[in-house]
Amino acid sequence: MAPLPLVILFAPVLGALIILCLPSERTALIRRVSVAVMGVSLAGAVAALATYETARGGYQHEVFIPWIATLGIGFHLGVDGISAVLVLLHALCAFTGVLISYAIKQRVKEYYVFYLLLITGVFGVFLSLDLFFFYLFYEMAVIPMYPLIGIWGSDVKEGGLVRFTKEYAAMKLTIYLTLGAVVALVGLLWLYVSSDVRTFDLPALQQAFASGPLAPPLQRWIAPLLIIGFGVIAPLWPLHSWSPIGHAAAPSAVSMLHAGVLMKLGSFAIIRLVIGLLPEGAAMWMPWLATLCVMNILYGGFVAMAQKDLKLIIGYSSSSHMGYVLLGIACLTPLGLDGAVLLMFAHGLMTALAFALVGHVYDETHSRYLPDLGGLAHQLPFIATCGVMAAMASSGLPGFGNFASELLVFVGAWDVYPIQTVCGVFGVVITAVYMLRLVRGTFFGAAKPAFTHVHDAVSPLARLPYVVLIAALLWIGCWPKPVVQIIDASARPLLERTSPGDLRQYARPPEEAR
Amino acid sequence: MSFGLLTVELIICAWIIVMLAAELMVPRTRAPSLWQLAFLGVLIGAIGLAWLGSAGQAQAFQEMFLADRFALYFKGLFLLTAAVVILMTREFLRHLSVNLGAFYMLLFTALLGMLVLASINDLLMLFIGLELLTFSLYIMAAYLKTDARSVEAGLKYLILGSVSSGFLVYGIALLYGFAGSTSFPALRAALSENSLVPLSAQAGLLLVLAGLGFKVAAVPFNFWVPDVYEGAPTPVVALLSVGSKMAGVVAILRVLYGVFLPLQELWIPVLAGLAAVTMLYGNLAAIPQTNIKRLLGYSSIGHAGYLLMGLSTGSAAGMEAVGYYLLAYLFSNLAVFFVVVTASEAIGSDALEGYAGLSKRSPFLAAAMFVGLLSLAGVPPLAGFAGKLLVLLATADSGQLWLVAIGAVNVAISLYYYLMVVKRMYLGTAATAAPIGVGSLTKLSISFLLLGILVIGVVQEPFLQQIAAAVR
Repeated sequence: MAPLPLVILFAPVLGALIILCLPSERTALIRRVSVAVMGVSLAGAVAALATYETARGGYQHEVFIPWIATLGIGFHLGVDGISAVLVLLHALCAFTGVLISYAIKQRVKEYYVFYLLLITGVFGVFLSLDLFFFYLFYEMAVIPMYPLIGIWGSDVKEGGLVRFTKEYAAMKLTIYLTLGAVVALVGLLWLYVSSDVRTFDLPALQQAFASGPLAPPLQRWIAPLLIIGFGVIAPLWPLHSWSPIGHAAAPSAVSMLHAGVLMKLGSFAIIRLVIGLLPEGAAMWMPWLATLCVMNILYGGFVAMAQKDLKLIIGYSSSSHMGYVLLGIACLTPLGLDGAVLLMFAHGLMTALAFALVGHVYDETHSRYLPDLGGLAHQLPFIATCGVMAAMASSGLPGFGNFASELLVFVGAWDVYPIQTVCGVFGVVITAVYMLRLVRGTFFGAAKPAFTHVHDAVSPLARLPYVVLIAALLWIGCWPKPVVQIIDASARPLLERTSPGDLRQYARPPEEAR
Repeated sequence: MSFGLLTVELIICAWIIVMLAAELMVPRTRAPSLWQLAFLGVLIGAIGLAWLGSAGQAQAFQEMFLADRFALYFKGLFLLTAAVVILMTREFLRHLSVNLGAFYMLLFTALLGMLVLASINDLLMLFIGLELLTFSLYIMAAYLKTDARSVEAGLKYLILGSVSSGFLVYGIALLYGFAGSTSFPALRAALSENSLVPLSAQAGLLLVLAGLGFKVAAVPFNFWVPDVYEGAPTPVVALLSVGSKMAGVVAILRVLYGVFLPLQELWIPVLAGLAAVTMLYGNLAAIPQTNIKRLLGYSSIGHAGYLLMGLSTGSAAGMEAVGYYLLAYLFSNLAVFFVVVTASEAIGSDALEGYAGLSKRSPFLAAAMFVGLLSLAGVPPLAGFAGKLLVLLATADSGQLWLVAIGAVNVAISLYYYLMVVKRMYLGTAATAAPIGVGSLTKLSISFLLLGILVIGVVQEPFLQQIAAAVR
């Protein structure tokens, strides 16, 4: 049997190749092929997580193929506890996303090819243990977004007026993310040329830096390049403005992947590269990150309250919630980091669920404009039920994954950044306001005559994605221990080289430092 | 005397005469199939090259002519370019029907110039090769005699080209004054003897670089580019943007890395500064263009910037990166120009608006253009990505991080205007829905280029080894 990472990564590539060879009229077959290959990836991801040995820790299921030996580049795949969890998240979102894509009716063949390429790129980032391929897959994940939003997306309207077009959203997203990527690339190249080992191999670099770390001044210069570069996709305030409009203009299945997984690439890269390779640089810049991410939480939350387009509400809520993830990372404590990764998982599932639901509502009613909607629980009992659950999860109700992980983040961050944590907690209240308003405005109230003919998701196949996502959310909410253990097995060694003392030295207010 | 080393050049020389004879003897009605004869010439040239490849490194004619692996590698690329351009002319025959044989003859003289440039070991050979190439291109650019824009293109190219040749000759004269010889070994010897190089020789080197900067379209010698690109026949533009630029880079490699490495403190900052300005100018000026050929003209200035960046490293890694970049650029840019030639014939103009809705009129051409443009922009896993990354890596290695930052930002800028073309093709609505038919040979050629883009982008190691062996 082929090693798991290869199966996970190349199943979608194979799917895309098969679909390229199929005639474009055979849409049913194209859909079945993509569901099948994503099923294979999902099975591989589950197996990778289930077989991850916590006691051994480190990188497992490794695959190494020499690539450009003279430059120290190798095709090196593998998972640690953190990436194993995120690979599963991506596999879940991609599998359900392929099912949700049944709503796509035009240019089906091209759509699935681009969608599968996007999925491959994201898997590649999580699985790569080589910085060259890490960057390659990262760029590969960004570019398919342009046609996916541009061709199959929708303009964002407000009260009949176009607020911005899908072309604008697609271009803004692509350029923002590419700019972020190249800033990070400068950082990566700088890192490469200043290390003595001359390799892009992540484990080799970590090993080399463990015995002889980069000079601290150098780390302090490289770290912000990586934090800002990958922060764009995270999306770190004030570089987030591409994200809500990108989500809003994208087709539902793409928004699911985008908000569910793509945004996590940023925080994942910060964990893996900044904390993993530049502990000193991380310690210096994390307090800045903590302050910015409070802006994420509060600003994103307040803007979400003001929106009337369902997708924009969820889009801004995503950028707000990613603030918690960044806060958990910024505190550099095991508890906070565990919480951040768990929240990436839980928030990914929740957002994917929310975008899938909004997509269903939009396809049926042809509106996402909150004042036009209402009373849909009468016609869409199943979707409404799921919607209420998504809102509960998003607001951090115990029992869903978000509660468990946000709690970990707050407890982990409390010691290091008390002020930022207190501010962040208020974000939960803001979330409750806009999510409950969204649910009330969409599903509750008197049934509207205009919507008498809308259809609920009735067939088992149509319900499957929602059920899968909710089940995973509840599982992680009620029994987080095994997953947290796997995350912790990798998070703790990462932090060993950054002592909290380092961080406090930078985080402390100036008068105390004197 | 070893004429064997000149095999490829001799074959091409013979073919110049063959094409001229064909022009006189083949009846007008049979002229459209002349491309087959031209293609055959390149093919035989390639066979000659393969035969030469088995021989070792050698020099000929009092060390004026080098046949090392470096020369062989770039001669291969030149022959490939010529072959693709000949295939491209098939789509352009309607405009070239008069004196088609003479057109191919000029193509072969230009090719001869490029082949000579790959083998230079003497400043005079540099001048001969360059003039051979440029003179052919002057005429080819103005080949559409009834089209005012084409004549303007040829004239503009001629005037600016002559001025730059003046720079080159003056530079050669100054260097001759310094070393007492124009041969590279003599120059090397003179450089190693004099620890202090006189100002006149330094000025001579910079003047030679200025003359070559014209060929690669580096700022500030780029003023001819947009107008010539817009007016000249499209296959000639393809030759200009790939073959001629590559020839200029090869000559710079020979001169700077073969001879003037001891003077690198002089030319590295110059090239680095020019690289930064060239990249920014080309990519920013491409944004507002409304004509696809002008856009590609500015984009080619941007690429000249990347090449100069690789050249400004002064290291073997930089040479390898430039070699790889040229390979990637050849496949990507030729694929894009092939689509432009084919599509513009059907659209009837080079205006960008005509490309609206191309994905519906011809999914194949649109997809090929998409892949080609993304490769030019440097999107993985395509050829352009590997080329850009290697150049950036070599530049970072040479310690010029500021240049790396500018180069990296330019990736995002160039992506913007390339995507604007993609946007028209995929999101725009066409004026007519009439599908564009693509001939099977054209389809095959474009598919070959696309395959190349993918292979060069994914499997870098074998190509890199070839290049490393060539530049050693």
